[in-house]
Amino acid sequence: MATMPAFLDRTNAGAIAASAGSRAARLDKDSSRLRPLPLDDVLFYSKKVDNSRLERAADARARGACWSAVGAASVLLVLLTGTLVPTLAGRLEGYKIETLKGEERRLLDERRTLELQEAELLSPDRLQQMAEEQNLVAPQAGQVVHLDGNNSGSAVALAK
Amino acid sequence: MLERRLKWLAGLILIWGALIFCKLVSLQVVHHRQYAGLARARQEQVNKIPAPRGTIFDRTGAPLAMSVSTQLVFVNPKKVPDLGVAADIFSMVLRMDRADLYARLEAAREDGRGYFVVKKKATWEETERLRGMGFDWIQIDSGSERHYPNGPLAAHILGGVDFAQKGNSGIEKVLEAELEGVPGQERSVNDVKGRPIEALVESEPKPGAVLTLTIDERLQFAAERELAAAAEAKGAHCGSVVVMNPQNGEILALASYPAYDPNLAPEGSENPEARLNHASSVPFEPGSVFKVITLAAALETTQLRPESMIDCGRGSITLFGRTIHEAHGGYGVMSMADVLKHSSNVGAIRIGMTVGEAHMHEYVRRFGFGERTGISLPAESRGRLRSLERWSKASLPSISIGQEVSVTALQLAQAASIVANGGLLVRPRLVLKKGGQAVPMAAPVRAIKPETAMTMRQMMEGVVLPGGTGYPEALLDGYSAAGKTGSAQIYDVAAKHYTHYYNGSFIGFAPLNNPAIVVVVTLNGTHGNLGFGGRAAAPVFHAVATEALRVLDVPKDLPEKPARPVVAGNAADKDDLAIANLGSREPNILEEGEEDAPATLVTGPTVPDFKGMTMRAVLAEAAEKGLPVIPDGSGLARLQNPPAGSALRQGERIRVRFSR
Repeated sequence: MATMPAFLDRTNAGAIAASAGSRAARLDKDSSRLRPLPLDDVLFYSKKVDNSRLERAADARARGACWSAVGAASVLLVLLTGTLVPTLAGRLEGYKIETLKGEERRLLDERRTLELQEAELLSPDRLQQMAEEQNLVAPQAGQVVHLDGNNSGSAVALAK
Repeated sequence: MLERRLKWLAGLILIWGALIFCKLVSLQVVHHRQYAGLARARQEQVNKIPAPRGTIFDRTGAPLAMSVSTQLVFVNPKKVPDLGVAADIFSMVLRMDRADLYARLEAAREDGRGYFVVKKKATWEETERLRGMGFDWIQIDSGSERHYPNGPLAAHILGGVDFAQKGNSGIEKVLEAELEGVPGQERSVNDVKGRPIEALVESEPKPGAVLTLTIDERLQFAAERELAAAAEAKGAHCGSVVVMNPQNGEILALASYPAYDPNLAPEGSENPEARLNHASSVPFEPGSVFKVITLAAALETTQLRPESMIDCGRGSITLFGRTIHEAHGGYGVMSMADVLKHSSNVGAIRIGMTVGEAHMHEYVRRFGFGERTGISLPAESRGRLRSLERWSKASLPSISIGQEVSVTALQLAQAASIVANGGLLVRPRLVLKKGGQAVPMAAPVRAIKPETAMTMRQMMEGVVLPGGTGYPEALLDGYSAAGKTGSAQIYDVAAKHYTHYYNGSFIGFAPLNNPAIVVVVTLNGTHGNLGFGGRAAAPVFHAVATEALRVLDVPKDLPEKPARPVVAGNAADKDDLAIANLGSREPNILEEGEEDAPATLVTGPTVPDFKGMTMRAVLAEAAEKGLPVIPDGSGLARLQNPPAGSALRQGERIRVRFSR
């Protein structure tokens, strides 16, 4: 069983074996290090093996299992996407809808305010005052005013 | 050693897991409701969906009353964590004075107030900025505010609303159920910044119904303008004008003086009479206008005819210890038509005595007096008409001349409509459409025979013709008209006698043969001869009726008076003399055209003089000479246009007016 100190130092196992003699001295220098257990050197000795000439044998079952896993993961991904995307899109659209609703209400209110302003501008009292200022009077019933172009600019267009 | 360490580690992990599990149980089981509620409160928001109060339009579609949304920003000063920060935020966003706002916030907190309005009419942009800040102590409420864009125009019809936007007078009060909108409610889920993600409408808003009234804004304005001018000129303290379509009862204008602005809250210094609708709520003794009812009853229940001679007692009559005098001098024997024309009190009393109490009472009721008209206005008066059992011996003569009975201007308009439309009692109405649906008129009720109505119309025409009490003030240019003046002395209840202040009134309609409008004018509290109905109220009738006929585009049925120059500053037409020679103020429709046309271009046959001829003779002579003639009226030819001796242009026709 590998101990934690040996595990942490496993990459240095070769170096440790090569320099076993200096271990005692190193331990003396680094008191925080745990002491190795017995046979640590044997268990964690790394031997160089050349596998370059080996070829992996085709394993149809393993490949199938691999593709099955990939397929399952893809299906799972699609399912998750199919579940989450509408929710996310719905949320984003919800933002838009609520923003548009608020905009609609604001515009309706604005329209009502403008209608009120228009009504105030077109009130008979105001129109009467403006007509008096411009020397305009209401025409008689059925009166026809011929616009023959002879009226001077300062003349009153309509008169009783 | 190792195993002991591992056990410790496992124990700690177990305890850690157990603590987490306990906390989860606490959060999700024990305090589930509490935390779920807190989460909902954080994420969900209940919003009110505004439902504006219904807009009121006139018959032409011009808005008379409308509501606009307002955003109210308020806080609870006790819950504001830092008044200085609050004042900074509000002054920056709402563009308010920081020092003033801080002082007011501080005062509100010191007073222990839990409600402080920061701004009543905040804009959408301002409230959105405040909402985006996410402070839970800033509260925003949306409401609405009623506006009357024309100010005092039609104020007595429209009424007003109180602080809670509930109608408290006028149409606003009577039709509160229809006008009031019911706000809806929605529950929205918000994100951490307070922005709504999704909203669920729990109840749909129900906006108030849109009302279309029968009144015409232009006529209403003209009526109010003329009424105010006349009241100020004649010293009347109050008055009213009603313009009504006699065929269907639609009220085209209903003015009351003095007026008020419904946009402004009532003040202590305001004239209390200003808020009263004098046309529908304040009854008065009608005086001589009531003689129309007396004579109509006589035509229906006695053998009296317009030409029947009545002894007018040379100016006074004494009945049951009371002597009644004429207002306009003494008369001897005159026809019933002349009794109306000259408004003879003695003659009307004698006619009324002929009618009798029972018939008189019945016909007063038939004309709609003593009961409400049912118009959509609050506090309508039914007037005063005693039951027949309570009549004294003096009641019949008094009621015959419009005393001992009180009526409203609206009732007078309803009564005049009976004569104008051929004898049908048509109820006046103010609402044309409700929520886009036409409001049907009530079925008319036969009050008098059609022939009686026609005879009354002819007799009432005499009032506005030369010699009548309404001449020349009530004579219309280009239109035939009929009417009746009234000048009732105001009774001093404290002193128990009649004063020399008058209820000057005038009821009239035009054109004569197919009346389009009925106009009733009352001026209360006039004084002197100029305060009589013919002098004070008839000019208002003239102005309002002329404007109404023009606006309603009613075809003229009489030749016009000489038209005034088209360009201001032109001298008056001297050719008026030709018209004056005919002994009448009847107008000449073509005067204006002749004025501008060169005399040398006028060619054609000479117009003969038809004056004094019967219609048969006129038509015979015209046919003989090949002249086109348009006869109008009956009796003898009194007026003609073009005048005799002038050249008749090509395509021109001769209008001849006949009268008795």
